[in-house]
Amino acid sequence: MEESTRYLIAGGGAAGMAAAHAIREIDQEGTITLLTDEADQPYFRPLIPFLVSGEKKDSDMFMAGSGPYKSGNVSVRTGSLITWFDPEQKTVYLENGGRIGYEKILFATGSRPYIPPDIEGLDADGVFALRTMADARSMAKRAEQTSHAVMLGGGVLNLKAAFALLKKGLKVTLIVYSPEVLSQLMEPEDAFLIRKALDQAGLKIINGRSAEIVLSGKNGVDAVGLDNGRELSCGMVCIGKGVSPNVHFLEGSGVIVDGGVAADMYTACNIKDAYTAGDVAVAYDPVSGDRMVTALWTNAVEMGRCAGKNMAGVKTKYSGTFGILNATQVADEPFVSMGTVHTKEGDFEVQRSSTAGSYRKMVFNAGGDRLIGAVLVGDITNAGLYRYVIREKKPVDRIKQNIIDHTLHYGHFV
Amino acid sequence: MTQPKEIFVKTDRCVGCLSCTIACAVAHSNSRTLFGAVFEKPVPKSRIYVEWSDPDKKIPLVCRHCEEAPCMFACISGAIHRDENGVVLTDTDKCIGCWTCVMVCPYGVIGRHLETHKAYRCDRCPDRDVPACVSACPTGALVYETAASFSGAVRKSASRELIRSEG
Ligand SMILES: Cc1cc2nc3c(=O)[nH]c(=O)nc-3n(C[C@H](O)[C@H](O)[C@H](O)COP(=O)(O)OP(=O)(O)OC[C@H]3O[C@@H](n4cnc5c(N)ncnc54)[C@H](O)[C@@H]3O)c2cc1C
Repeated sequence: MEESTRYLIAGGGAAGMAAAHAIREIDQEGTITLLTDEADQPYFRPLIPFLVSGEKKDSDMFMAGSGPYKSGNVSVRTGSLITWFDPEQKTVYLENGGRIGYEKILFATGSRPYIPPDIEGLDADGVFALRTMADARSMAKRAEQTSHAVMLGGGVLNLKAAFALLKKGLKVTLIVYSPEVLSQLMEPEDAFLIRKALDQAGLKIINGRSAEIVLSGKNGVDAVGLDNGRELSCGMVCIGKGVSPNVHFLEGSGVIVDGGVAADMYTACNIKDAYTAGDVAVAYDPVSGDRMVTALWTNAVEMGRCAGKNMAGVKTKYSGTFGILNATQVADEPFVSMGTVHTKEGDFEVQRSSTAGSYRKMVFNAGGDRLIGAVLVGDITNAGLYRYVIREKKPVDRIKQNIIDHTLHYGHFV
Repeated sequence: MTQPKEIFVKTDRCVGCLSCTIACAVAHSNSRTLFGAVFEKPVPKSRIYVEWSDPDKKIPLVCRHCEEAPCMFACISGAIHRDENGVVLTDTDKCIGCWTCVMVCPYGVIGRHLETHKAYRCDRCPDRDVPACVSACPTGALVYETAASFSGAVRKSASRELIRSEG
């Protein structure tokens, strides 16, 4: 007889796990089956750089039993790649020949690293794009046998990977085509403190160049060729050029895919009893209303929880996310970037302030009466309050100077 | 099941003496004495804050252990969970100091321990009958009660306002 489940979760990342646990809070009985093609149980993906550096081990990574992921009775199947989905029969088909029927399905298959098609030789041994625990393990292994790594791309994920390798004692060179690192999260002049910290930490950065070819021999990678003809000899390469959503299995199914899986305000797809959340889904910005795909853990969990509630019959509106909502610390320099932070084009009121150890940029709308974005470097205290002001579109008149001076506190709202 | 007690603030009673902040830092020091605490490295931190707002209002702020706690769901390392008493706790061993919780906390009550590179917050003093800040408050601005006995409405309206903003 054909197998079936009440709730089928396609993808075992942040969104899938958050949905499964939200469902369990409402429905203690209905069977939940979560499928992932990975060999590992669901884990905290942002921790994988620590697996590369050796600061964490496999057992520190798993989601089940950690944080808010404590409810049991979710059947997790690893090694289960979904290759096709039939909405008429309400069935998914697996690569291993299995098929599973469902009553409600969630597409939470996340994203994979984008691999630029114009760089030659990327199939060589020693070329990585850090996304999974399996990637992290093989990167760690390769790092044991080499002394120099070249990173392609200057985004936050590649910086994290770079620091994991620096920790292991490798020499690390980052090739960034943009004028400065972190160009997705801030403008070049916003990044100067971070850049200084990166330089001091020993990361070698080459700006304004891109890789054209990866050269390899019998031991895999041995050099990267740049667009200015320069060759950098190295034993490994790590690509960090953004991500693209995992939507292959939806081809021909009738599910609307437009940049990612399309969702309505209640995380529902255009097909009955189907929902979507996380990196694979098209989310929206609560301030501008813009639709976009994100690559954020915070969004994956929030949207996943929302989808879970809807699947379990509690109709819940998704409150949206900023496309940029990042907090992290690289090279001992903490920073937060959120909302609208690219202000070169368009009409904004921008208030900057900097000291020796900190920098901030507060972005207001053209009228100056709404906060719409913020970059905080060094001193990120109370960052959540600015998120609250942006997200709730709070009139800033009374608190504007506090925002500019970074003295805002919750007492101002009491 | 008996309802767990929580820390409530009566802002109209606060005179801004900061006794709560000192008591909190001492309660979270190694020596647990004021004399010992001031010499400890790293310097013990208070998890309760007293802010001023115009014209001269003092507002003690402390983690509310929110119902749909944004910090707990945002945490990228599984370091934040809710215990059986409803207390939202940060597990220092699991915390990687990415400050995502700081970025999403609308109250600004999650601190950053720079020396140890870990986030910290109110843990409602698990080893004490009454949290240190509440014991130390000379004016009754801080109270430790169940939501029901503390005219529940005050807190309910505050947390409802947040839940709306957090979805
Ligand atoms: C190194 C690193 C650091 C990061 N740091 C941060 C950070 O600090 N802050 C932040 O907000 N975000 C961070 N992110 C991004 C964050 O991890 C992602 O946004 C988040 O994991 C998205 O969750 P998801 O559940 O949507 O998708 P994913 O985590 O991608 O999970 C989807 C799962 O589905 C599986 N899958 C895909 N297709 C199929 C299929 N056909 N059949 C079965 N299974 C399938 C995938 O293999 C995967 O296991 C980081 C990411 C990385 C890689």
